Amino acid sequence: MAAKQREISVSEFFTKNKHLLGFDNPRKALLTTVKEAVDNSLDACEEAGIVPEIWVKLTQVKPNHFRVSVQDNGPGIVKNQIPLIFGKLLYGSKFHRLRMSRGQQGIGISAAGMNGWMTTGAPVKIISKIGANKPAHYFEIQINTQLNRPEIKNGKGEGVDIPAGPKGLEYLASQGIEWVATYEARDGVPERDVKSGTRVTIELAAKYQRGRGSVDEYIELTAIANPHVTLHFEDPDGNPRTYARSTRHLPPEPKEIKPHPYGVELGTLVTMFERTKAPTLGQFFVTSFSRVSSAVARRICERAGVGIRMSPKNVPSEKANGLYQAIQETRIKAPTTDCIAPIGEDLLLKGLRHVLPGEFYCAATRPPAVYRGNPFLIEVGLTYGGGGSVEKVSLDVLRELLSQTDARTLRQFLINTFDGLGPDAADRILAEAEAGTRVAPGKLKPKDIERLFESMRNISVGDGQVMQVLRYANRVPLQFKQRDCAITDSVIQTNWRAYGLSQSRGALPAGPVSVMVHIASVWVPFTSESKEAIASYPEIQKELRLALQAVGRKLGMYLRRRKRVQQEGERRSIFLRYLGEVASAVGEINGVDADGLYGQLLKVAKRKTAEADMKLDERGKAIADEHSAFGDNVIIVEQDAKTMFGERATAAPSGNSPRSATAG
Amino acid sequence: MAKRKPKTNERAAAKPMSELSPADRKTLTALTGLGERVIACAERSRPPHLDIPSRTLSNVRFNQSKRILEMGSGTNRRELFNLSQAKAYMQTLLVGTGAKRLIEQGKTTSLRGLYYMLKHTIEGTKEETFDEQGESDSMIEDAEVLLNALREELHLYAQKRGEMVGPITVIDSGDEIDCTRMGSGGYGIPSIVEPDRIQFRNCKATFILHVEKDTVWQRFNEDKFWRKHNCILTHGAGQPPRGVRRMLYRLNAELGLPIYCVLDNDPWGYYIYSVIKQGSINLAYESKRMAIPSVRFLGLRSIDFERCRLTPSVQIRLNDQDRKRAKQIAGYPWFANKRPWQKEIDLMLKNGFKLEVESLISKDISYVTEEYVPTRLAESDFLD
Ligand SMILES: Nc1ncnc2c1ncn2[C@@H]1O[C@H](COP(=O)(O)OP(=O)(O)OP(=O)(O)O)[C@@H](O)[C@H]1O
Ligand SMILES: [Mg+2]
Repeated sequence: MAAKQREISVSEFFTKNKHLLGFDNPRKALLTTVKEAVDNSLDACEEAGIVPEIWVKLTQVKPNHFRVSVQDNGPGIVKNQIPLIFGKLLYGSKFHRLRMSRGQQGIGISAAGMNGWMTTGAPVKIISKIGANKPAHYFEIQINTQLNRPEIKNGKGEGVDIPAGPKGLEYLASQGIEWVATYEARDGVPERDVKSGTRVTIELAAKYQRGRGSVDEYIELTAIANPHVTLHFEDPDGNPRTYARSTRHLPPEPKEIKPHPYGVELGTLVTMFERTKAPTLGQFFVTSFSRVSSAVARRICERAGVGIRMSPKNVPSEKANGLYQAIQETRIKAPTTDCIAPIGEDLLLKGLRHVLPGEFYCAATRPPAVYRGNPFLIEVGLTYGGGGSVEKVSLDVLRELLSQTDARTLRQFLINTFDGLGPDAADRILAEAEAGTRVAPGKLKPKDIERLFESMRNISVGDGQVMQVLRYANRVPLQFKQRDCAITDSVIQTNWRAYGLSQSRGALPAGPVSVMVHIASVWVPFTSESKEAIASYPEIQKELRLALQAVGRKLGMYLRRRKRVQQEGERRSIFLRYLGEVASAVGEINGVDADGLYGQLLKVAKRKTAEADMKLDERGKAIADEHSAFGDNVIIVEQDAKTMFGERATAAPSGNSPRSATAG
Repeated sequence: MAKRKPKTNERAAAKPMSELSPADRKTLTALTGLGERVIACAERSRPPHLDIPSRTLSNVRFNQSKRILEMGSGTNRRELFNLSQAKAYMQTLLVGTGAKRLIEQGKTTSLRGLYYMLKHTIEGTKEETFDEQGESDSMIEDAEVLLNALREELHLYAQKRGEMVGPITVIDSGDEIDCTRMGSGGYGIPSIVEPDRIQFRNCKATFILHVEKDTVWQRFNEDKFWRKHNCILTHGAGQPPRGVRRMLYRLNAELGLPIYCVLDNDPWGYYIYSVIKQGSINLAYESKRMAIPSVRFLGLRSIDFERCRLTPSVQIRLNDQDRKRAKQIAGYPWFANKRPWQKEIDLMLKNGFKLEVESLISKDISYVTEEYVPTRLAESDFLD
C-alpha cells in the first residue's frame, strides 16, 4: 500500500480514505484526533522508558469547532523531525518494522492535523522539549497537500526556540501558548518540573457528545488497559478528571522482530525483492526474515526451482509466485514470541479495579500463539457486580446528554448512551418515570428530566443489563464496529450459562458484568485500515475462546459461592427467627434464663450455617481456604451482609445478641 | 426475644406442685424433660432435635391378640436446624408452654383456645407462630405422643359432640345427672370423661345402643326405646369424638355393657364401626383406652333392601370414591379374614347403592325402633 500511495496527491488520498482514517463524521473526528495524539504519546513514553503522564484538554472555540490539546512527558522530538512527523503523511518510525506498538502506519497524527487544517484552516501547533535544560521548539505547521510536505508557518518558516527555565515560561505565557510545566503534587510527592515532552494542538470541526464512542469513554478505557499511565482529562465544560496510575511499572519493552515468512503476502514479497540490498536470494531470505537459516532458504529455492544465488531483483514474476508457494510448503519454525508484551493478569486486575466498580474481578493471560507467522497473545479481564454507567451520571450531565443526543426517542437515547443498559432496563426506567418511549429526548421539560433521573437511580438495571465488552488491540481501546469483531463473536459464542449468567442464543450474556479483551500482537489483524475490529483467524478465535473460558470458570465459581453464601444467609436467618421463640419457650417450661440459652443456640446456628458455606469447592471437594480455590488473579470485594441478603437478614429477631446474618 | 409473654412468676394463680393431681404432676415432669433435652444440646453445642413417635399408617399395626390398633416404635426426627422443620420444632415447644400454663392454672381450654393462646407475631418479623388452627392441632397430637400424655392430660378438650340417655346416673364434676330425666334432649357427653371427673351410679341398663346420628337418636328417644329395652342410647354425631369413644369404652369396660351399633349401610358407616372397634390410625396411641373389640354391628346391612322390602327410591348410588373406600376397608386386617364382613361389603358393591338408617322411615316412622332393631336383637343377628 505504502509505495503506491506515495505517488498520488495526499489530499486526494485523505479525502478518499477519510472513513478509514476515522474522520468521516465530526464526533468521530474529535475522538480520532485525541486518540492519535494519545497513542503516539504512550508509544513515545514507553519506548523511552518514561512512566507516562498525559494531559488531554478539549476546548470549544466556536459551535462545532473544537481545539484538542494533548501533552505528554515523553522524550520529546528533535527539532528537525517535528515538521516531518506532523506535516508529512506516511512519515513514521513504526511501519517498516514488526514490533508491538499502538501506531503502525505513520498516518495517524499527520492525518489528524490535515483534517484539522482542511476543516478549520488552523495549523497544527507543536511544542516539544527533549530535556530539562534543553530549549523547547515551537512550530505551527500546515501540510502542503500537493507535495505532501510540511510548511512551517511561524518563526519565518523556521519555528521558534524557547529557552529552558523561567524566561521560556514567561515567553510561553506572553504568547498564550499552553504548556504544563510541573506535575501536580500528589501522594506526598511535591510538585516537580516536567523535564521533557510534546504538546500537540489541533483545531477541527467537531461535535462533542458523551456516551458510547465518546472521548470520555476512550479516556476511561485507556486508563483501564494502561494502569501505568496517569491521565488528566479536561472536557469542554472545564470539568477536570484524573485517572491516577496504579503502578509505576512500565510494560516490558517489546522486542523488534523480522517478519516470519508465513506472514508475508505475495505483493509484499515482490516489494521486498525490489528493495533489498541482499545480492542473492539465499542471503535475502536469511536477513529479511526470522527463523530462516541458510538450509531453510535452500529448501525454499529448491522447491521453487530457483537458483539460490539469483539476485532478488531479477526474480521473474512467475518465479516470485513459485517462491511464495514454496514458502507455504516448507516447514519453518514458528516465530519467537518474546516480542509480545501482555498487560499481565496482575495489572489487568489493577486497571479494572481502579476504574470499574464491582465485587469480583478476575483475569487470564494466555501464552503467546501465532497466526500467519505473526505472534500474538490474548488476555481477558472480567468484572462482576458493577452498577453500570447509568448510576454514575449526575443530573447535570443527564441534562446535557439529553440536549446533545441524536437519538429520536427517549428509549433509543437510553440504550445508545449508557453501556450495558439493555432494552428491558430502558423500558423499566421509562415506565418508572412515566415517560412515553417515543418521546423525543429534546422535548423533555425540566420536571420530566428530574423524574427520569430519579427513576434511573431507582431502577436496578442489573437484571436488564447486558455484558459490556471492552475491546483492546495493543492496549488501544476499540470503540466501534463491535458487531463485526472477532472478539465480540467469541464472547457471544462462549456459553456463559455454564458460568451462571443468563444468555440467549446469539446474544451477549446478561448481568452486571464487563469483560475486557486484549489482543497484543506485532501485527494486529484489523478488518480494515480504520483499526476498529479484529479479523477472525482460527488461531485467534481459539485463543479468545480459551481465555474467555478461563475467566468464565472463575466467575462461575464465584457466582456459585455467592449463591451458596446467600442461601446460607437465608437459611441462617430462618433459623434465627425461630430461635428466640424456642429459647423463651424452654425458659418458661424449665424456668431457666432464656437469653443465655438463646446465646448458646445462636452459636450452634452459626456453626451449622458456616459449615455449609465453607464446605465444598466446585467439584464437591472439601477446601480449607475459600479464597485459594480461585487460584491467583482474582479479587473478591467482600460485600456486607445487608446488600447480599436484602431485607431478610434484618428480619431476624432483634435483641442484645448479634443477630444479623453475616456473609461467610 | 418474645418478652411479650408473661413470665411464670407474673402469672396469676399458679398452683404449687404439691396441689396438683398425680396425672398433672406426671405431665409436668414429661414437659420439663422435653426442655431439659434442649438445654443439654445447647450446652454441648449440639443441634437440638425431637424424636416424635410416628403417627402414620406405616407405624400402626393391628395387635391380633388384643384385637386393637397399636402404634409401632417408629419415630420421626424433628430438628431445629433444618429448614423444613425449624418452624414445626418451635411450634411443638410452644404447645408445651401452653400445656404448662393450663396445668399450673388448673384450667382447660379447647383446641381453638390453645391456638389463640399461642398465636402471635414472631418478634422482628411479619410471621405468625401459627397461621391456622390445623397447625396447632397437629402439634398437639405430636405433643401427646411425644410426652406420652393424653390430650386431656394436657388440659385440652375437643369440641363436644354426642349425647346419651338411659337408666344410669352420671356424676359429672360432682353434679348428679339422672340420665332417665333428660326431657327430649340427652346428656351431652363431655370431651373429658376421665374417672376423676366422671363417675357412674345406679346403672340398670343391660346394653348400649349406639347410633350414628342425632336425627336417628331422636327417633329412638322419642319412642322411648331405651326404657322399653332397658338400655343406654348414645350417638356420636357421625364419627364419634374422643369423649364419646372414651365414654363407650368406660361403660363397656367398667359396667360390662355390650354395645351394638346402628350405622348407615355405606363405607363411612363401616369406618365408624372400625374406629369404635379397633381404634383409628391417627390416634392409634389411644386405642388401648378407647378401642372396644367386643362391639357389634347391628345394621344397616346390605341385605336390608331386600329383607325389609324397601323401594328403589331410597337407594343412593355408590360413587367411585365410595367403591374405593369400601375396597380399602375390606382389606383392613381386622376385616380381611372375617367372611361375613367380606360378604357384607361385597354385597354393597354388587348392589351398587348405599342406604341410610333414615331410609327405614319409608316403611313406617317407627319401623326402625319397633321392628328392625328389636328383631335383630332378638335374633342376635349382628356382625362381629
Ligand atoms: N508525542 C510524540 N512524542 C515522540 N514522538 C512522536 C510523538 N508523536 C509522534 N511521534 C513520532 O512520529 C511518528 C509518526 O507518528 P504517526 O502517528 O503519524 O504514525 P505512527 O504512530 O507511526 O502510526 P499510526 O499511523 O498507526 O499512528 C511516530 O512513529 C513517532 O516516531
Ligand atoms: Mg500514531
